Amino acid sequence: METVLVHIALIAYAAGTGAFLTWLVRPGPRWAKAGRWLLLAGVVVHFASFAAGAGVAGLGLGAGSWKGGQLFSLLAALTVAGYLLLDWRGGVPIAGVFVAPLTVAVMVPAHLVGSSEHEVAPQLWNSGTLFFHVATSALGTSALALAFGLSALYLASERQAKSRRPGRIFARLTSLESIDRTGYRLAVWGFVFLSIAIGTGSLVSNASTGSPLPVAPKQAFAVLAWALLASMIEARLVAGWRGRRIALLVVVGFVLLAGAYAGLLSASPAMRGALALGVWP
Amino acid sequence: MTTICVGVSHRQAPVAVRERLAVPADKLPERLRQLRQLPGVREALIISTCNRLEIFAAADSPKIATEIQQTLDPAAAPLAACRFDEDALRHLFRVASSLESMVLGEAQILGQVKEAAARSQSAGTLGPELRRAIARASSTAKRVRTETEIARGAVSLSSVAVDLAHKLLGELAGSSVLLLGAGEMAQLAARELRAQGAKELLVANRSLARAEELAHEVDGEPVSLAELPVLLERADVIVCSTGSEQYLITREMVARAVKTRRYRPLFLVDLSLPRNVEPSANELENVYVYDLDDLERVAAKNRDLRQSQIGKAEEIVEEELRAFLARARERKSVPVLARLRAHADAVARAETERTLAALRDLDDRQQKSVRAMATAIVNKLLHAPTARLRAEAGRGPLADAATELFGLDEHPEPRQAEAAVLSMASNG
Repeated sequence: METVLVHIALIAYAAGTGAFLTWLVRPGPRWAKAGRWLLLAGVVVHFASFAAGAGVAGLGLGAGSWKGGQLFSLLAALTVAGYLLLDWRGGVPIAGVFVAPLTVAVMVPAHLVGSSEHEVAPQLWNSGTLFFHVATSALGTSALALAFGLSALYLASERQAKSRRPGRIFARLTSLESIDRTGYRLAVWGFVFLSIAIGTGSLVSNASTGSPLPVAPKQAFAVLAWALLASMIEARLVAGWRGRRIALLVVVGFVLLAGAYAGLLSASPAMRGALALGVWP
Repeated sequence: MTTICVGVSHRQAPVAVRERLAVPADKLPERLRQLRQLPGVREALIISTCNRLEIFAAADSPKIATEIQQTLDPAAAPLAACRFDEDALRHLFRVASSLESMVLGEAQILGQVKEAAARSQSAGTLGPELRRAIARASSTAKRVRTETEIARGAVSLSSVAVDLAHKLLGELAGSSVLLLGAGEMAQLAARELRAQGAKELLVANRSLARAEELAHEVDGEPVSLAELPVLLERADVIVCSTGSEQYLITREMVARAVKTRRYRPLFLVDLSLPRNVEPSANELENVYVYDLDDLERVAAKNRDLRQSQIGKAEEIVEEELRAFLARARERKSVPVLARLRAHADAVARAETERTLAALRDLDDRQQKSVRAMATAIVNKLLHAPTARLRAEAGRGPLADAATELFGLDEHPEPRQAEAAVLSMASNG
């Protein structure tokens, strides 16, 4: 049942992607509207799949093992939900052009190709800290994924404005100022969740391996991303940076965070077996 | 019944002629009544804008067009184009969809068409023929605007500047605009920015007296040109149009202001020739400099985009026109009497069946009586209207009134009327 629902969600996401990409080349509100509704349908079915399947176990409580697919599936669903919320409040359908294909790109390998199962250390099977860690990691990553998307759009749009030959992206986007503001707010939320995720990850790591600060690519990338985002926030608050500089920092920050996930999946089996989900342990 | 359009627009007549044709709003009712009083004119509508005067009429014969034409100013009458039936309706649809406008895709015309219909309605010269045509023209225009890009992007330089300000800075409410110089286009842009909610409009000029005078004209605040470095920190949009032969705003001045502004975006619109803003200032972070050529390039691109949409818009107009004409033919093919009778029978049948369904215990004889009663009520109610409509051969003002009163246009065929009533009955 769970798999069927995920596949239905994936089809809705793919159709939404088609609608948004069509909207990019053939303007007309109905394509953006169709894209929105398809993503909404997809995310509802997607969340239903979490409820129908292992659900809580997939988030860490009571789980004896996890799959990379589960994690990326959760990230995709949260990102789409975040986008829909953003679009509903701020009317940024153009972000759908980025979010929808990204969701499909994450979901296809996660569910169609399949992923191997990783053991969770027995002492973490019913760990509330692990659950909290995974939840904050997923929320932070989703917020940063959206901030990354908006920043990429900002950079493309700003380039067109600077060239004094505004093109399609510039025409479709809301104001540069509003993208900058929204992207920054999302990055701040991402930073807050990431900070909590790293803190709770330390506790999880200590419980599973006895070391709160294990040295591995994943941890290094997570800390680098965190430090970069902290500098970005400071630069904004203290020196007043905004626009291009902030967008670039957010893009780099998200790429570093993606490195942490790559580190998670490429860690040695022994390490993975001892650890659980999230960006830190 | 013939639909007639007698019109003069910017395509046929220069402004010197058009200005003599314009009908002021207060004189419109009188003019409409004069038209209505022409023999054979059943309905009349006047669309009077700065670019056109279009008189639409529903009349008994196409010959009346000549009489309508003679009501125009003698200088304009020979230039007027007369269109009939399908051509007249096509023209109305095209006018409402802004395909006949001087600025393709402009938004005002649809409002002007609707306003003309409202005025005609209050003057009592709008009847079912023109009302239907206006309603369809309005929905066609909406389709054209939503399904094509004919209305996208600004096409005048001042509007392009305002659009860009919106795109770069977001909401303009609370922003500060600096008008540098007294150029007419700059004033226009500054006024538009103010109208969009800009918090303050600062006006600087070489002479403070001129700045004060200008500030008074545009409802702004006069400031001294000597304060320019400080003003660069304060303003969000700067519109320049001075006669200065050297840069008034240099890259260095802007670079200094950027840090003090804490990288708040600054939009510089340079409408001067020679230019007043050093072009390389555009390279600075969060600073956008657009000169006349840049604005014209954007406007030209928008104009090209709109032009490229004409074919698609015309397809929509033709599609809607075909549907409208098909509907009109359906109406003509089924006489009003037949439609009225079918409508009444359908209502009676639906209500009878609903009553019988509620009174389940009635035997066949009782059911037959209920049905007979419903038919008798319909017959008695329709007796007098039927006799009068027959006397008018079903084509006079009474037929129009019956169509309007009983909503017969919505279900032009007896079959459809019946289906609609049955569906209403089952729903409610």
